[in-house]
Amino acid sequence: MNIYRVGWLAKLLALITMGFLMLPLAAVIPVSFTDKRYLSMPEGDWSLRHYIALFNSSEWINSILNSTAIAISAALLATLLSTTFVIAVWYRSNQWTRWLIGLCMLPLIIPPVVSAMVLYFMTTNVSRIAPSLGYDSLPGVILSHTLLIVPFGVINMLVAISRIDRRIELAARNLGAGLWQTTWMVLLPNLRLSMLTTFLLCFILSWEEIAVTLFITSWEVITLPRQIWSGLRDNVDPVVAAISTLLITLTLTLLLVRMAVYSWRARQHP
Amino acid sequence: MITRLPEHWQYRLLLWPLPVLLLLCYVVPFAGIITWSVTLPELGVDNYVRLANDPSIHAVLWRTLYLCAIVGICALLLAFLMAYCWLYSSSRWQRWVELCIFLPFFISVLVRTFGWLVALRNNGLVNGWLQDLGLIDSPLALTRNTLGVIIAMVHFMVPFAFFPLLSSMRQIDDRVLLAARGLGASRTRVFISVFLPQTLPGLLGAFIMVFVFCLGFFIIPAILGGGSTLMAAEYVFLQMFQTYNWGIGAALCVLMLVLVSMLVWLLMRFSRVERLVG
Amino acid sequence: MHQTHQQDCIELLVEKARIGQIDRRNFLKAAGLLAALPLAMRSGIGWAQDRPVVIVNWGGDAIDAYRQAWTESFTRETGIPVRIDGSGPTEGAIRAQLASGRPSWDVVDAEPFTSLTLGREGLMRPLDFNTIERSKVNEAFATEFGVAGYLYSYVIAWDKERFDAAPQTWADFWDVERFPGKRTMYKWMNGVLEAALLADGVAFEDLYPLDIARALDKLDELRPHILAYWGSGAESQQLFLDREVSIGQIWNTRAIVLDRDTDGRVGWHYDNACVTPSSWAVLGDNPAGAEPAMRFIDHALEPEGQVELLRLLGNGPSNPAAEALIPEELIELNCGSVENLARQFKLDIEWYADHYGSVLDQFLSRTGA
Repeated sequence: MNIYRVGWLAKLLALITMGFLMLPLAAVIPVSFTDKRYLSMPEGDWSLRHYIALFNSSEWINSILNSTAIAISAALLATLLSTTFVIAVWYRSNQWTRWLIGLCMLPLIIPPVVSAMVLYFMTTNVSRIAPSLGYDSLPGVILSHTLLIVPFGVINMLVAISRIDRRIELAARNLGAGLWQTTWMVLLPNLRLSMLTTFLLCFILSWEEIAVTLFITSWEVITLPRQIWSGLRDNVDPVVAAISTLLITLTLTLLLVRMAVYSWRARQHP
Repeated sequence: MITRLPEHWQYRLLLWPLPVLLLLCYVVPFAGIITWSVTLPELGVDNYVRLANDPSIHAVLWRTLYLCAIVGICALLLAFLMAYCWLYSSSRWQRWVELCIFLPFFISVLVRTFGWLVALRNNGLVNGWLQDLGLIDSPLALTRNTLGVIIAMVHFMVPFAFFPLLSSMRQIDDRVLLAARGLGASRTRVFISVFLPQTLPGLLGAFIMVFVFCLGFFIIPAILGGGSTLMAAEYVFLQMFQTYNWGIGAALCVLMLVLVSMLVWLLMRFSRVERLVG
Repeated sequence: MHQTHQQDCIELLVEKARIGQIDRRNFLKAAGLLAALPLAMRSGIGWAQDRPVVIVNWGGDAIDAYRQAWTESFTRETGIPVRIDGSGPTEGAIRAQLASGRPSWDVVDAEPFTSLTLGREGLMRPLDFNTIERSKVNEAFATEFGVAGYLYSYVIAWDKERFDAAPQTWADFWDVERFPGKRTMYKWMNGVLEAALLADGVAFEDLYPLDIARALDKLDELRPHILAYWGSGAESQQLFLDREVSIGQIWNTRAIVLDRDTDGRVGWHYDNACVTPSSWAVLGDNPAGAEPAMRFIDHALEPEGQVELLRLLGNGPSNPAAEALIPEELIELNCGSVENLARQFKLDIEWYADHYGSVLDQFLSRTGA
């Protein structure tokens, strides 16, 4: 690779791009420490009042709890559904299953606002039969999020399962294992790590979902993004800066830990 | 219990739950949206006639397509640069590039939009810097207009363009590049005549992907557009929850779906999807 | 130590439940978390009902102000918990609520023409004037479906640091030579078309029915100078705080807060402003039922709360009995006082009830371009 190197100009441009990518995140942090009641840079005195307001507000805390519950449930469901589906496709793949994979990709390809309309239609119609399962209800939001994030789960699991050696199945079958046993005792142990990453990816996607959530909730189920949305639209509130700073810090920490683990592993097994 | 079932039933139990759920809760409701588009406010194709004839809707649609194209091109350029640097530099650099791609990628679009609002305001960071450097006298209007929307959308799309571009670049055989160098071509020449052509399918694929994602966006324009950058998705949102013309909103959704299907067909045609995903 | 802290938490919860800041389910959840369910059960709070009355207003500072002026005292008197949702009860939003099959709103702080339009379509509950004392407000302010909770106004506000003279008329608002800088106006159209026509030389009394084409054309003239159409009161505040605009058509309530927050940098007045009443209305088949909703509206017409709201936000009282209670320093701020009313024009509610939906669509397509 030594012959083919990145020139200084490209490096400089890349540095500027990296600055561009980090800029909005960096901009939020100082604003969260302002001592004014409106959005402004702290002049002189830095204050924690907006963090205190955040933790004292039952609305914000509730929205965080709601989002956590929804993201865990939706990610579990999506992981489960995509794993079983992908395993079945792995066993037997034909023209039919290719169509089914296409079907599973729909929520990814269709623009979010169209998905939002579709899921609004779905949840409000469910509400007519069972009000506590449809529009503006926890199960309704969980189901909608599951449908939205499941394509990512399917992609992730398809990639993972394609790495498994097909002879594994043959060996298990030759030893007399049925479909269920092969799946349970041979395939799943090999997919454990991928299922975990799928779960995490789905968790993040559901945790952040806003476009569809805006359409299908109103009052009962306020998720964190929805709370931020109203903080931004109805009231440009520095509390939004405080929660944003917390989210950025959390994500950054997780990423750094992940990178540290990877480089540690790389050093262990060069 | 499950083991007692005949094997083909076990198989069906694995295969069908997800497709059936999607059919019932996603595909069937979509048929409902189509129904809305021809029944609200009254039976007929009035909504589609209006889509075809109303100049203000055309303005919204053209603006959407044009903005998506600009965003797609800008995001592609930046992502290309980042992927290129990732591929051909030291592992220290790679770590930094990854951090700058992943961190925004995992942070909610709302937080990022809010960040741009803060950074681009009249007395925000960017205007502050430009004024301190003496480049401008009075603050530039960077947000609550189309420019702000474009900046934030490009920022959102860079990671999405980065991954497919990187995977297509990684498939380029380094030996070809080395051979070209060996035959006496300059670095610029190798880049233009050997490297770039090989990334073209990846570029096209990434462009279509970003374009499709942009079409459905309404969070960023709604917050940063200042009420004067109406795009198709926000238009649908307004029709649903402000002006209550569900029929026209639904018709617009159907139109967007048709457009997206055509683009996805193009995507399948010109570049192999598997490569982008892998 | 731990025990005391827990005790403290429980006391706080009980207090919050008493004044209706949290509803029963959340109270039990929280109390359960504190492993203090038995204690909470013995606390003797009378739960009038499971479901709080959900009141929908326009967000921002108004949420806390409504709490102080109306809902806390209401819950104390009746035991009915109240929750305030600040998401803005526009006509479309109310319709979408009703169509969702699971409406969660009870009482809305709507535009008067909204309650009229929706009421005529049978979507709102007729007000129960046995519970609501009709005589509390002026004859003109109470209809079958809506009763004015307060008066407010769309005023001209400006940044005093940008120019010395004060813009007086809408022609001044359109005059970018004498009054340079960006403008902001209301996103959902109220008062905007009127402003354009006034700037074009139409007199107060000839405004209605609005000449829409003429107004939109006049608005096009100003287009390059309009920075943003604000969709929420707080957004308009932020635009002035950040010095992004030099003149704006904003709510008098926000102008008052701005004047205070900027130490007088932002000026405003009632000249040529557009005054209009608000309208308390109740959604048809609202989840909390008719009775508590009507009782709340009646409570909100009491003069004390209305004066409190004037003090907190600047909304003019709709109950004439409040006049006498207004302290000296607030009289000038009241957009409903006789002197101030004479300087403003009134939004024609009937015209809006007939035309709002279709004209708003035209307006949004034009301004969004």
